[in-house]
Amino acid sequence: MKKKRSIYSWIVTCILALGVFICWFPLLMALMNSFKTNRELFTNIIALPSSLKMDNYIRTWEKMHYLRSFCNTAFLAVLAVILIVVFAAMAGWKLCRVKTRLSSFLFGLFVFSMLIPFSSIMIPLYRMILTLGIKNSLAGLAFVYAGMSVSMTIFLYHGFVKSVPYELEEAALIDGCGDIKRFVLIVFPLLRPITFTIIITNVLWIWNDFLLPLIVIGRQQQYTLLLSTNTLFGQYSSDWTAILAALILSALPMILFYSIFQKNIIKGIADGALKG
Amino acid sequence: MKKWMALLLTVIMVMCSFGAAMAEEKTAELNIMMSSANLMEQWQDFCDQFAAKVLAEQNIKVKINLEMPASGQYDSVLQARLNGGDAPDVYMIHCNNLNVYTKANYTTDLTQEAFTAQLFESVRKTVTLEDGKVYAAPLENQAWGVLYNKEIFEECGLKTPDTLTELKAACETLKAKGYTPFMLAFQEQWVPQLMTALTLGGKVSGELPDWVDRMYKDEGSYEEVREIFDVIQLIMANGTKRAMEEGSEAGAADFAMGAAAMFVQGTWAEGSVMTANPDMKVGVMPLPINDNPGCTMLNMATSSVLCVYPKSTEKELALQFINYIYDEEVSSQLFQACTYNPVAACHTYEPSQCVASAAEFLAAGRAYEELVLPSAVTDEQGKLLQELYVGTVTVDEIITRLDAAFQNANKLN
Amino acid sequence: MKSKAKQNLSLLLFVAPALIVYLLFKLIPAISGMFYAMTDWNGFYQDFQFVGFANFGEIFTDKPFWHSVWFTLKFVVVNLLLSNGAALALAYYIESIRKGKSFFRTAYYLPNMISGVISGYMWMFIFTKVLYYFADNWGWAFLDHSWIGDPNYSFIAIVIVSAWNSCGYLMIIYIAALQGVSPQYIEAAQLDGGNGWQIFWKVVFPMIRHALTICIFWSLNNGFQMFDTVYTLTGGGPGRATQTVALNIFEEAFQGNIRYGYATAKSTVLFLIVFSITLLQLRFMKMQEEEL
Repeated sequence: MKKKRSIYSWIVTCILALGVFICWFPLLMALMNSFKTNRELFTNIIALPSSLKMDNYIRTWEKMHYLRSFCNTAFLAVLAVILIVVFAAMAGWKLCRVKTRLSSFLFGLFVFSMLIPFSSIMIPLYRMILTLGIKNSLAGLAFVYAGMSVSMTIFLYHGFVKSVPYELEEAALIDGCGDIKRFVLIVFPLLRPITFTIIITNVLWIWNDFLLPLIVIGRQQQYTLLLSTNTLFGQYSSDWTAILAALILSALPMILFYSIFQKNIIKGIADGALKG
Repeated sequence: MKKWMALLLTVIMVMCSFGAAMAEEKTAELNIMMSSANLMEQWQDFCDQFAAKVLAEQNIKVKINLEMPASGQYDSVLQARLNGGDAPDVYMIHCNNLNVYTKANYTTDLTQEAFTAQLFESVRKTVTLEDGKVYAAPLENQAWGVLYNKEIFEECGLKTPDTLTELKAACETLKAKGYTPFMLAFQEQWVPQLMTALTLGGKVSGELPDWVDRMYKDEGSYEEVREIFDVIQLIMANGTKRAMEEGSEAGAADFAMGAAAMFVQGTWAEGSVMTANPDMKVGVMPLPINDNPGCTMLNMATSSVLCVYPKSTEKELALQFINYIYDEEVSSQLFQACTYNPVAACHTYEPSQCVASAAEFLAAGRAYEELVLPSAVTDEQGKLLQELYVGTVTVDEIITRLDAAFQNANKLN
Repeated sequence: MKSKAKQNLSLLLFVAPALIVYLLFKLIPAISGMFYAMTDWNGFYQDFQFVGFANFGEIFTDKPFWHSVWFTLKFVVVNLLLSNGAALALAYYIESIRKGKSFFRTAYYLPNMISGVISGYMWMFIFTKVLYYFADNWGWAFLDHSWIGDPNYSFIAIVIVSAWNSCGYLMIIYIAALQGVSPQYIEAAQLDGGNGWQIFWKVVFPMIRHALTICIFWSLNNGFQMFDTVYTLTGGGPGRATQTVALNIFEEAFQGNIRYGYATAKSTVLFLIVFSITLLQLRFMKMQEEEL
């Protein structure tokens, strides 16, 4: 019986390993060919590169203004996520705890729009951005992301607060803690598990979003990584080695982020989906 | 309290003096938007030159923001900027859309600007609208048709065909020698669209001069020009494989390496061709569409032009920029770097192979001005030709759908 | 107990920041979008006219639009089955082995971290260069198709890329659900003599229904808004063969006749379709869950 189990385990492991190879195949191909010269690429596309030439990376690094684009994206994602978490946690907590008609109306107002497709608000949203004068501003864009994300995030916090025992807050109330103090000292720390999930999903979304920055950010100084990569495709449209190097470069931060936090990310995503 | 007041006063005074210093060296910002991302460096250099000149001559520190979205998104980004009242000061459009943009009050009358006097008359005409005013600065102007590989043609003893029969014979000769006649690169729909631009242009200019006017009045039909699809199908049947996987740039590179003898592509592709193979001998020839040599002509067109936004806050600078493009000292350098053809008297550089090759046909009067169709119809043509190539529509369906698209566009404008 | 008014006041204070950004960047644009749907604005000229429901009437006879709806439906169904099936199988088998669980989990989730635009271009390289290399040099004729040109094959290509992108995410959810299934049940079923297949369907599957509901909801919602991957891979072509609804709307708003008002009418219709389908799905699956 035990032997049978371990043979089974072996076979499954082998099949899964093969699956990983197939799953990573596009990434591996991109990585491998990004070190080649164009001539090498066309003679044998699946051979290993003859040497680890960094030429493609050097020229795309400069063209993409990699560091600047990276910092822009990081700034945008971090600021947006802070706004999302703070705004939504505050609102989600109060909406759950206060049980008045106003509260359920507001909650309904937030949840109602969760399924509106982005394409239907794109142009009016752009006009709004212009009216407020926050075009070309990464900080402004962070607020836009906050606005688009809060309904879903409030929904998640609202659900989570329900599962947090009220007694702790009550105790603080008796101690004479004000609302803000109570939120900062007691409630927010309790929300940590769901906050983590929210941080991860939103960082992923904002980091990989394309259409909104494309329209809002018109200056190269403020370009995000994806926008810089996209401009590069226009310049190198048939030069695959350079394009592949650019693809790898722009996917790299997320892959590193993932390899460092993989455990937390996987846990965060699972929690978010199953508890929300 | 007094101390605070003193401090405040000092701060205000310091700021005022800064302000005064700033006033002497003025700053300005100029937003420019173009769709030619492949020419980013050339234009960036040019903008730097312009900024240096303005600083030296007028003591204005100009910051130029050059935005170049990839061509697939260009129109949507530009439209979003324009209708949001946040237009770039200078922007690029296709000359065929000049009428539409002018009607929407997005262009400035440039007739009085110095550069217009420099333009060749034939080019100037293309940026002049019905009211006789010039609304744009032309960058790319060309007489284009089919690019062909001169060496392959010589080797096979071929001369440029004047009729459809000759073209068919040429295809057979090429195939017998082991060459593929046509390069097909249909991934982006504007490339197959070029075939309709050429065939329609030839047919209409040669035999049905009133067709476009009648189409705009809902009185014509693609049925009348049905024979253009014979040529298109001939090209498709004698082309390279995997056309839908081939982008325009890849197509130009493959054509340069001898993958096919002919390529239905404008002379704007010459730069890419020459980069891929600097020794390439390339020529331009008109595409025959039937057995009437009178229809076998080159297409004369202005494609990219620059417009100035009328409500621009830096209009004066924007106009200076436009004029600077045709400045005697720098213009030739810019146009040559971008592989544009000469459009004005100040362009003294040696024309490229394609221009020289097209000149023979132009001298013989074998060229027509590009037909201006609604852009919805042009888009539809490109889409339908992709579908024709993969076999999901028939010619009959194409004719019905193009007629419908034209009528729909008429109804909306 | 504080008074209602006082409670409401503190509620408003805490909700205000979220409410302000939400109103500015989501609700007001959404409502003014619906207003544009009743105009003939082309997003280009400054003036426009109110046309009532004429745009909605026109949608009924808009063949390309319904073609794109049909294509999207096909895509949603196939993609839903494929990515959920693969994710569930992966989750189940990964959980069934002894060593390397966390390695495989990590490895299969990776593609989900890569943005749609980047993976679209990466796969473009595979479909237009690498597969042909195998076809030409190794004689693998089954790969010699026009993967992004022939509508039948490009459908497969699009499904593969989007399943590749989303499978890892779904797998994580299924794994978490599977971990919640107590091994005692499985052992009991094994003692009763059930084989692996039976145990999965009769014992495990009912206990992860909740995860299934969530994953299907997510796949539906994502599938209907499909844009990035198709846009980079085929651009909706050849012609309009692989155009999804989101692409069709994008085309209507920004290309050709640039009819912005009409495009928003279309996206309102898309919203209604997605809304009713997800509502139906949630109702249906809730009912099933309760039955058990």
